[in-house]
Amino acid sequence: MATSTYLSNPLVTINAVDLTDQCTAATLTKTVEALESTAFGGVARVYVGGLQANEVTLTMYNSFATTETYATLSGLVGTSTNITIKPTSAATSATNPIFTITGAYLESLPIVNASLGELDTIDLTFQGGTYSVAIV
Amino acid sequence: MTKYVIESDKIGTVGEEFIPVEGINVDALLEGGFISTASEAKAHKVKPEAPKE
Repeated sequence: MATSTYLSNPLVTINAVDLTDQCTAATLTKTVEALESTAFGGVARVYVGGLQANEVTLTMYNSFATTETYATLSGLVGTSTNITIKPTSAATSATNPIFTITGAYLESLPIVNASLGELDTIDLTFQGGTYSVAIV
Repeated sequence: MTKYVIESDKIGTVGEEFIPVEGINVDALLEGGFISTASEAKAHKVKPEAPKE
């Protein structure tokens, strides 16, 4: 039977700051670069794992209020930090693991994304960093 | 060693010490007002009294 996870109340932190209440979408992709190791005599291309090339994308409401989105992110542009994502806010466990990217790089930050009659939302992309998962 | 105090409930309990783990950008947290520095109180040196003769 197929199962799926309904992320109604996940936990998202950026640089240890809980921004769950400003986040509407989160994607964490674990990638290990494929290095081709095909040699003469082979009949198909083969690969070995290279470096991790992880990526986290987040969609957030922009807020210039104290200790909100802008205050959290403005000092992170051009630097690396930690991102954590957990399916629910419940205690960490085997069925509610916490995923961490340590040393994710934020290249750019949209300062204003304004449209008449709409809330200001921004899309963030954190690149690189080391992936880990914990169940306790 | 610099100690940090939590100033926002978005990173923990306000007033408690913040101990950054590896990878945390402390400068960004200071800039954003999430933590502040707390200068450690220096222990007063007590000069032992000279023994009375």
